[in-house]
Amino acid sequence: MPVRLHRTEWVTTTAISWRQVVHRFSFVFFLLLAVGLLVLGRSHPILIEHARTRVIDTLAPVLDALARPMTLAEDVTRRATNYLQLQSQNEKLRAENTQLVQWQNAALSLENENKELRSLLNYKTEPHLTYISARVIADAGGPFVRSLVVTAGKVDGVREGMAAMTGEGLIGRVIEAGDWSSRILLITDLNSRIPVTISGSGDHAILAGNNAPLPKLLYLPQDALLTPGARVMTSGHGGVFPPNLPVGVVTSTSHGTAEITPLAALERINQVRLIDFNLAGGAFNPIAARIDADARK
Amino acid sequence: MLPTLGQRLEQSARRLLPLGTTLLFLLAGVVVWPIPYIGGMTPSLGLIAVYYWSIHRPDLFRPLAVFLLGLLNDAVNFLPPGLSALVFIAVHQLVLSQRRFFVGQVFSMLWSGFALIMLIAMIFQWLVLSAYNASWMAFLPVLLQASLTIVIFPLPAWVLIRLQRSVLSQG
Repeated sequence: MPVRLHRTEWVTTTAISWRQVVHRFSFVFFLLLAVGLLVLGRSHPILIEHARTRVIDTLAPVLDALARPMTLAEDVTRRATNYLQLQSQNEKLRAENTQLVQWQNAALSLENENKELRSLLNYKTEPHLTYISARVIADAGGPFVRSLVVTAGKVDGVREGMAAMTGEGLIGRVIEAGDWSSRILLITDLNSRIPVTISGSGDHAILAGNNAPLPKLLYLPQDALLTPGARVMTSGHGGVFPPNLPVGVVTSTSHGTAEITPLAALERINQVRLIDFNLAGGAFNPIAARIDADARK
Repeated sequence: MLPTLGQRLEQSARRLLPLGTTLLFLLAGVVVWPIPYIGGMTPSLGLIAVYYWSIHRPDLFRPLAVFLLGLLNDAVNFLPPGLSALVFIAVHQLVLSQRRFFVGQVFSMLWSGFALIMLIAMIFQWLVLSAYNASWMAFLPVLLQASLTIVIFPLPAWVLIRLQRSVLSQG
């Protein structure tokens, strides 16, 4: 015998199944939308990067506010540890200071000699450098990307291609400059490729990031002599970075490739210095740079 | 008696808790933490929030919100746009389909469930990203991030449980 549904029961059952249909539909809809965006990102990367810069620029004050207590906490911890190690640190610094005074004397005499030799050769000096200090507000330390967001943008004079350094050495370069914030691609990122030279042997290679803490040297000459501890500097090839910026130290070598330990502790950076070497190859988009230069005239 | 305007506003604010906490977790995930030894690795706090709210308050955590939060995660983490959105929506749907199992379970079950879903999500993300870049991405960092997130799960989950009890039990 067919069961006749009461009116209210019928309404509830229909409502539930209707909701299920809507839910299923929205799930499939958003899934397809996400896939569509991925495809769009692949075919129009510049469009997507611009949109991303806008979003991060808008979020910069929020990220800054969130980062402040963290920086403060780190500062307090560092001060406390420093205080505890005052005695031993003091002794170490005294010893280091004596050594540094010797180095300073050496540097001064070399500088004089250099100046004299340059005047003899009529040597053209390096272009003027511009420094911008910035604080790190976000660190995309996921397994797929290695980059930082810092609190300085076009308003402060940041432009794409500037080198990012800490006191220890090169950490990466600016690849996106928003109005108030910019993004630094670290030397450990999968997309980072930096022409370097190994001090001592003078061999050239490419320092390639692989999203792991230790980037690798690629395209080393077959007869390259690598000793662990050798310093790795930028070679200046390609015109993005000037030569002789310290990058890292050779850690291990095997089968024509070597791992490099970056000089800067990349996982704990709070402050960076962005340096404009005024090199033509630094900007990503030479046409945009030219338009910019024309506008300034 | 009809609620006053103030009461209605307060109730709406309470109902924004799942969205607000997930947003905060996403942003907190990219801030530089003063914890050494993690080696530049940050836990996926956002995924913890998506998992938690999909189980406990799916009525206040709709697919549109999940999708937008995913897009934001892509933006701040420099991931291809749509990747986290895809992962978040998939996790949301997966959890919803198993919701009956999760609701009212003891904490250890909630944790184990998360561990499983986190692993699936990370492997899925790794596969999609490898396909996107047309080359295999390193797998070890993926495993590290998944493990780190699973290990710290109780802490953010505890915060969410407390917040849910104090803010949403009255709303």
